[in-house]
Amino acid sequence: MADVDNILDEDEELSLLETLDHVIDHGLVIAGEVTISVAGVDLIFLGLNVLLGSVETVERVLGERERRVELLLGMVPRAALAPKTAAGGGPADEGE
Amino acid sequence: MSLYVYCLGDELSESAFGGLTGVCGAAVRVLSLKGRLSAVVSAAPAEPVAVSEENLQAHNRVNAAALAASTPLPFRFGTRAAHERLAEYAATNEAALAGALARVRGTVEMGVKLLSKAEGEGRKAEGGSEGGPEDLASAEAAVGRGTAFLLKKRREALGGEEARLRAEGLAAWLAEGVAGLARESAVWVSPSEAIVVRAAHLVGREGVEEYRARLRGLRAARTGLRLLASGPWPPYSFSEISGQNHPR
Repeated sequence: MADVDNILDEDEELSLLETLDHVIDHGLVIAGEVTISVAGVDLIFLGLNVLLGSVETVERVLGERERRVELLLGMVPRAALAPKTAAGGGPADEGE
Repeated sequence: MSLYVYCLGDELSESAFGGLTGVCGAAVRVLSLKGRLSAVVSAAPAEPVAVSEENLQAHNRVNAAALAASTPLPFRFGTRAAHERLAEYAATNEAALAGALARVRGTVEMGVKLLSKAEGEGRKAEGGSEGGPEDLASAEAAVGRGTAFLLKKRREALGGEEARLRAEGLAAWLAEGVAGLARESAVWVSPSEAIVVRAAHLVGREGVEEYRARLRGLRAARTGLRLLASGPWPPYSFSEISGQNHPR
């Protein structure tokens, strides 16, 4: 554990915050391979620019994209796409 | 099998992690990847890794153990990949990773945060610059409502510019204070936030004590400032291989 030379009183809390600050926001990233859970909500980081969103949202968007591709290729009837796209919304919440 | 990945290096040895457990209590081991590149890994849990104190400390504990022997490239918390995917990543980025390892070899990351103690008090002490209802009322009486409003907006704009200049001045002051010791710096300036300046410095291991002494000197020189220093850390802020480590 890195030692924290601090001027505040909350040593342990501060130490944890410093750790959080370092390990969550920085470091090597393999695209699409960072998955964490915050307060029971699963989050996924995609790529080096840190696109952050819930796994559920990302899966829904990727699913929609796949269905659109299938539609373009004539693999599924158009009616199959309609109810799925009604949910709308952007891909995922953008992080920094 | 999915692996939880802590760091990557070209001088990693199993002996540095003897008996150490990582995230979710899993045993830690060193996995050879490509050439001299190897990674420190443990078995990944089935579920996404919870951002808990225990897991955060475990991630950093393993990377700190690696740092005690040599300087690795730490992965971001929560990184998991199959062995094949990890090997593919190492092979694809072999040259970039070797370059990144050469860049951090023999160094550690030190962190500094600057917080302004007198931010709120300073503004009040200036008097008349708050732009509150009373100020506005008296200004309206003197120059008219529209002009008073515009004067208030002007003061706000100037205040923002003043804060930006002050924050940049602090960043420059810090950079000057650690000059010659910080081989590289990553600096984030946030004039409107409590932490005005955040900086990560890549410091040679031999220079850590002098670096700390310099920071103590800087802290003593500006009592109106909170200077929070931490480290040594694995080079989290200098590990990305995309060239995006330096916001400014």
